[in-house]
Amino acid sequence: MSVPEIFLLLGLAFSIGGAIVLPLLTETLVPRALAIFGSAAAACLLATSALLLLGHSSLTIHLVTLPLLGTLRLHIGGLSAFFSLTLGISFLPAYLFSDGYMRRYQGHFRTRNFASFFLLLLPTCFMVLAAGDVITFLLFWRIMSLLASLTIVLENTREPVGPAGYLFLSMNEAGIIVVTVALLIMAGFSGGHIGFAAIAASMHNVSAPWRWIFFLMLFFGFSTKAGLVPVSSWLPRAHPLAPANASAILSGALVNFGIYGIIRFVAILLPSTGPLPGLIVLIVGALSALIGILFATIESDIKKMLAHSTIENMGIIAVNIGMALVFTAEHLPVLASIAYIVALYHMLNHSAYKTLLFLGAGSIDQHVGTRNMNRLGGLLKRMPVIGATFLIGALAIAAMPPLNGFVTEWLTLQNILRSEEIPSALCRVIFALCGTGLALGAALAVTCFLKAFAMSFLGMPRSQNAADAREADFSAKAPMLALAALCLVLGVGATWIIPGISRAVPQLADHHATAALVPPFFAAHPPNPPFKPQFISGFKTIGAGVGAGVIPARGLVILHQGGKSNPVVYAMSTFYMAIILALIMAATWVMIRLVCRRSRAAIGAPWAGGMRDLAPEMTYSATGFSNPVRVIFQTFFSAGQREDSKVAVESHFRTAIRREQSDVYLFDRIFLAPIAICAVAISRLLARIHRPSVVNAYAAWVFVILLVALVVNRLL
Amino acid sequence: MIDSNLSATPSALPALAAALGNSVVWQAPADPLHAPIAAADNFVTIVLSCEPENLPLVVRTLTEDADFRFAAIIPCEEGSSFIVAYWFYRSAGHLRVKLRVRVDAAAPTVPSISAIAHAADWHERQAEDLFGLIFSSHPKLGDFVLHEQWREGVNPMRRQFDHAPLATDADPPMPWSPETILETPGAFVMPIGPVYSDYAESAQFFLETVGEDVVRMIPRFFYKYRAVEKLAEGQSIAQVLLKVERFSGTSAVAHAICFSQAVEQITAVDPPPRAQAIRLLLAELERIRHHLSVLSDVCHSTGMIVPSAQVDILEEQMLRLSCRIGGHRYLYGLVIPGGLRRNIEDDQLQLLADEVQRLRSQAAELFSQLQFTSSFLDRFEGVGITPLEKTKNLGLVGPVARASNLAGDLRIAMPYGYYHHIPAFPEALETEGDGYARIRVLFHEIDSSAEIIRATALSIPPGEHALTALTLAGGEALGAVEAPNGAAFHGVNLAPSGTVRRLALITPSFTNWHGFHLAAENFAFQDFPIMMATFGLSMAESDR
Amino acid sequence: MANWFFSGLFSRVVTTRYPASPEIAPGTTPGRPVGQQANSELAASAAAAMCPVGAIGAHGRDTTVTLSQCVHCQACRQQPGIAWQNDYQWAAAIPPSDSHRSQPVPRAFKKSLHIRIVDGGSCDSVLNEIKQLGKPFYNMHKLGFFITPSPRHADVLMLTGPVTRHMEAALKATYDAMPHPKWVIAVGSCAISGCVFGSDLMTALHSPPIVPIDVVVPGCPPPPLAILHGLMILAGREGELPPEPAIPVVPADPELRKVTSPEMSP
Ligand code: SF4
Repeated sequence: MSVPEIFLLLGLAFSIGGAIVLPLLTETLVPRALAIFGSAAAACLLATSALLLLGHSSLTIHLVTLPLLGTLRLHIGGLSAFFSLTLGISFLPAYLFSDGYMRRYQGHFRTRNFASFFLLLLPTCFMVLAAGDVITFLLFWRIMSLLASLTIVLENTREPVGPAGYLFLSMNEAGIIVVTVALLIMAGFSGGHIGFAAIAASMHNVSAPWRWIFFLMLFFGFSTKAGLVPVSSWLPRAHPLAPANASAILSGALVNFGIYGIIRFVAILLPSTGPLPGLIVLIVGALSALIGILFATIESDIKKMLAHSTIENMGIIAVNIGMALVFTAEHLPVLASIAYIVALYHMLNHSAYKTLLFLGAGSIDQHVGTRNMNRLGGLLKRMPVIGATFLIGALAIAAMPPLNGFVTEWLTLQNILRSEEIPSALCRVIFALCGTGLALGAALAVTCFLKAFAMSFLGMPRSQNAADAREADFSAKAPMLALAALCLVLGVGATWIIPGISRAVPQLADHHATAALVPPFFAAHPPNPPFKPQFISGFKTIGAGVGAGVIPARGLVILHQGGKSNPVVYAMSTFYMAIILALIMAATWVMIRLVCRRSRAAIGAPWAGGMRDLAPEMTYSATGFSNPVRVIFQTFFSAGQREDSKVAVESHFRTAIRREQSDVYLFDRIFLAPIAICAVAISRLLARIHRPSVVNAYAAWVFVILLVALVVNRLL
Repeated sequence: MIDSNLSATPSALPALAAALGNSVVWQAPADPLHAPIAAADNFVTIVLSCEPENLPLVVRTLTEDADFRFAAIIPCEEGSSFIVAYWFYRSAGHLRVKLRVRVDAAAPTVPSISAIAHAADWHERQAEDLFGLIFSSHPKLGDFVLHEQWREGVNPMRRQFDHAPLATDADPPMPWSPETILETPGAFVMPIGPVYSDYAESAQFFLETVGEDVVRMIPRFFYKYRAVEKLAEGQSIAQVLLKVERFSGTSAVAHAICFSQAVEQITAVDPPPRAQAIRLLLAELERIRHHLSVLSDVCHSTGMIVPSAQVDILEEQMLRLSCRIGGHRYLYGLVIPGGLRRNIEDDQLQLLADEVQRLRSQAAELFSQLQFTSSFLDRFEGVGITPLEKTKNLGLVGPVARASNLAGDLRIAMPYGYYHHIPAFPEALETEGDGYARIRVLFHEIDSSAEIIRATALSIPPGEHALTALTLAGGEALGAVEAPNGAAFHGVNLAPSGTVRRLALITPSFTNWHGFHLAAENFAFQDFPIMMATFGLSMAESDR
Repeated sequence: MANWFFSGLFSRVVTTRYPASPEIAPGTTPGRPVGQQANSELAASAAAAMCPVGAIGAHGRDTTVTLSQCVHCQACRQQPGIAWQNDYQWAAAIPPSDSHRSQPVPRAFKKSLHIRIVDGGSCDSVLNEIKQLGKPFYNMHKLGFFITPSPRHADVLMLTGPVTRHMEAALKATYDAMPHPKWVIAVGSCAISGCVFGSDLMTALHSPPIVPIDVVVPGCPPPPLAILHGLMILAGREGELPPEPAIPVVPADPELRKVTSPEMSP
């Protein structure tokens, strides 16, 4: 038995054992036990995947051979290992966080059941990733959905929570039903073999229309799980209602499964049918990114805002996958491989900072009692560690250098610019438009998270609870500090991370992009075989060689070595940035100390126009801060997004102006609402058919359907 | 609905008497059916009294049927009761109505008339703060004139109020927050002031908003409350005149004339014609200067450097002209009860006429240039609209009202002093009621004032510039003058010894600030200074 | 816009040359009463009696005028015993006392003083006169005086009005919000003495004053040039001022024009 296998078994043992033990414990012991069992299991699984990834190895386990369906097996290759890594990054802190956080539910809700479900979620998720055949995959996927929806409904007595669980479950089911049908048909084409490898092999013989059908079914089926448009509105409705530790998992880890499905089945199993599918993925991704961040920006519930931003990040990942598909179809394997790396890298980043932010939101919720940013404020003084780590998460998600979000946003946008190498003009135009959308989204993300941090942590407390808040305990601080550090490491260490991720990619693009993305400029011995000396010296003149002797790795992230005329397209180094930033800060500090050596700093109240005291209701609210965005994009949200109703009581002595506002999600209105109407109409029709009084008609319908089935069978 | 009988002059009084029935007691004229109708060029003051419970009915008849406009509520403490005087006026028939309501000082409750005549709203709130009068069914009493430093139940205008112990030593100050009415998640108020902007007067505004656009504006005034009316009590006319001139220095002449007018009414004297004519010239000169100052602020509010500099030059020229002919840049100290302190010689009047004509052409030139500057018009057109209906309802006055097509210039509606003797001039009316309409009104008034000065300055009657002596008399009167900002009323009550027993200053800024919220509703942040500038109102005049 | 450009370009420069040379244009100042030797003791006491605010004092045949109380009512314009002087350089620095001794304006600040105005309940006219300072005729910016909206950037607090009770806290807050070193200039008689509005009801005659005053500019309202003079004194730039008196004293001429007093005769 290999080391990874041992860790795997240990992990499974911890979580399943924990799930069995937990219901037997008293309520007071549950949080601590959950944290211990969960983090042990997560750490073991993290170790398994890290070992597999670092060791370039894969793990295959045969489970059982079923009489009709064939062998069920687990196979953990590079891709699965990478995904389970992100799983661990999200689960481990969330489990640790549970220790302090779950106490708020004691005595109010059934935390024991929740804890068992929550513990079982990790191995189930891992099994989905490890599945090597269709049946195992679908089976564990189902269990995963069920467990996840059970964790959402912990606070089941609160009004919208129950429906949110059902919404989550039904949306996941809707997606997976489509996927199931597609996968079963695909298995049919491969002669009943359910192994992924066998299906992949058989797909090369499948005709283009079938490939298209599979693509559409699989992509939109999985994109439902990832929260991509058009079926995205369930995500901000369901995720925020779970307890914060579960929300962190849902947004930090579980949405990744949509991406996993798309990569595993669309990108790997289906052979390319030209650039069009890629373009569809690209457009869906760009739209999701834009819509996600727009709704996030105008949201004032901190968890809902984070859920909307999840849609944005999934969109960015989808954009990269779409680009990869297009580049593959256009035979640009280097670019395709870069795009895959960026997609996976961004997913990793997202898992890190989204978990961090959700845990922060949970801490706020726990210690202030509200998630409404309009009622927060001034928390930095009261919760300094939570505030500082939340700030790092916010900066990272807003793509501020040198943090991790910046690396992938930058690479995404640069990669879009590389579309000039695609011959088709249409593709280039679409790339350009999507790039514009993403750039706008990036700008909005800054607004959004500036608001999130400023409105929660800066200024005056806008409610008594916020004024009375106190710092969270160690079990919240430790995972958040670790995640903040991870965000920094993932950003600064981009040149170390990228080669690691590229190990997961070759089965996607048949190409190692490391050399193109992070050329071994200064670290390799002998240095830089692929590059001509004059090219390197040209680079050194612009300062790329600074610190070469000190930095123990590839210094720069370089997008692409490009053609002859344009050898290097863009170069960037978060490592250097971090150093320069640190130097600037240090220099500023020194300068301030020097200048102010002899003067005394006077600390006074903020200038409030000479008012006696500035009340909290006289400071900017979160809604107010983002209202310009709402106004600017009003046409985009279009009518129905908000409703104003003005109540004037007596024309002169008005006592109230009431404004109500209801959010209708864009795609709900234009996409889901018609479907819902159709579905209701169809079910009415069916209900009429089923009416027992008209037995004859019923019999006639059965006959007609039989006939149709026979005819179809004959024709095929 | 205006009953034609009620508005036609000859039968006005009998018709009014019939409409009011026996809900009022006629005090002057005692017999309205046979009262002599005064000459058309002078006004008639009708004095009525009624029981508090009849008040709403009477006010409704006066304002809705008989087309009277609300002027003022002037409470006065007499012995153990309050006499609350409600003043109304109308130009048809040149009538003024003084409606007296007597209430016991121990339980001073009067029905509120604000729902009928909205213009009375702030008058009632002010009387509640200063006198402790209670206006039943008024929804918003309290915290108006007196701020949070004052204890509840302290009414500084009451006679028994003692100056000596400081009334403001409530320690610590009462907590105060603006009364917000916007109910929507994320709504907040943006405080402005009391110390804000470069040269702004002290006042506070709370902009109720959910970000980006402002839904409503809540003002907080009386930061500059100097209690002029209280200080005046028991002082000599000369002393009070100093205060009346100085509480709002940019309209000093108008207020001095208004106060003098009231004193002259009580003492039943007419200043000599020359004094009246020169008063008119001074008042028009002041109007021109005041409007130029407002226009300068208007141009500054849009950041248009050149036009504002041009207007500034004209304004300073007018200030210098005032100083040359009147000895003081704001024409302080010239108007006194009974005439003028000093004669202004004909050669100086010639100078006035010449200079004003020069200015007139320059202002016209400026106006025509501004009219074709689109970046200027963009900022004013459709900004801060006061619709006519509401303007009427809130009883707005002055250029602000005229921009909404509401006539009521007292120089025309109720000519006083020398305005009887000058050629008729049109009232500068505009219909849109927006910022641009207000600017046009200001320019038109500059022009018409210049025309009045041209037509009058060189044909001033010779003679004395003042009465040599005034006969002392006690009594009560209301002075009414069209100040640069609109109708100003001074209620003066003199003791027989000649000291002032009660002074009430009803200023156009007070009246119009009340209506400012009409314009300041659902606007963009950046339009706020522009709206303030086009209203051109003064805190000093409003706060007193 | 083009026409504005040219009309601005071709406008005459109107800015005063003060303090480089005295401003002699008529109408820039109302002038001020100054004490004189009257013909008789009786005339002196008559002059003292006729001032409605008691700004005139009589000592034998000599009269004195306390300018910080004068409200420019013009009553004494032709009064025997009072001379009316058409100048404007009448601002004065308050001599340092034990309670307040402000440091002189450092060199670096002399030609760049930033001023925050606090309206403590003044009439509009004094604010309007301050406003004129920023306008073409006076243009104080060329002398290095600037108005700033934020007290955080201000060196000088310019106080107008008698400081109403409602403005007390705001004035204090503004002064406290200003960084050191800071100075206060009181503009207008009512800011100095409360004047006709000084009462213990709404405008306390603050003693000690809420903010320590360094320079006073009497007048009701003081003309722009007087305020400019006050700022020059505050900045310690007396050396740049033109020699006094800028305009010769106009002697009183009792026969010139008849003046009526507003007092009533019984
Ligand atoms: S001008 Fe008036 S206030 Fe000044 S000293 Fe003469 S009389 Fe007194």
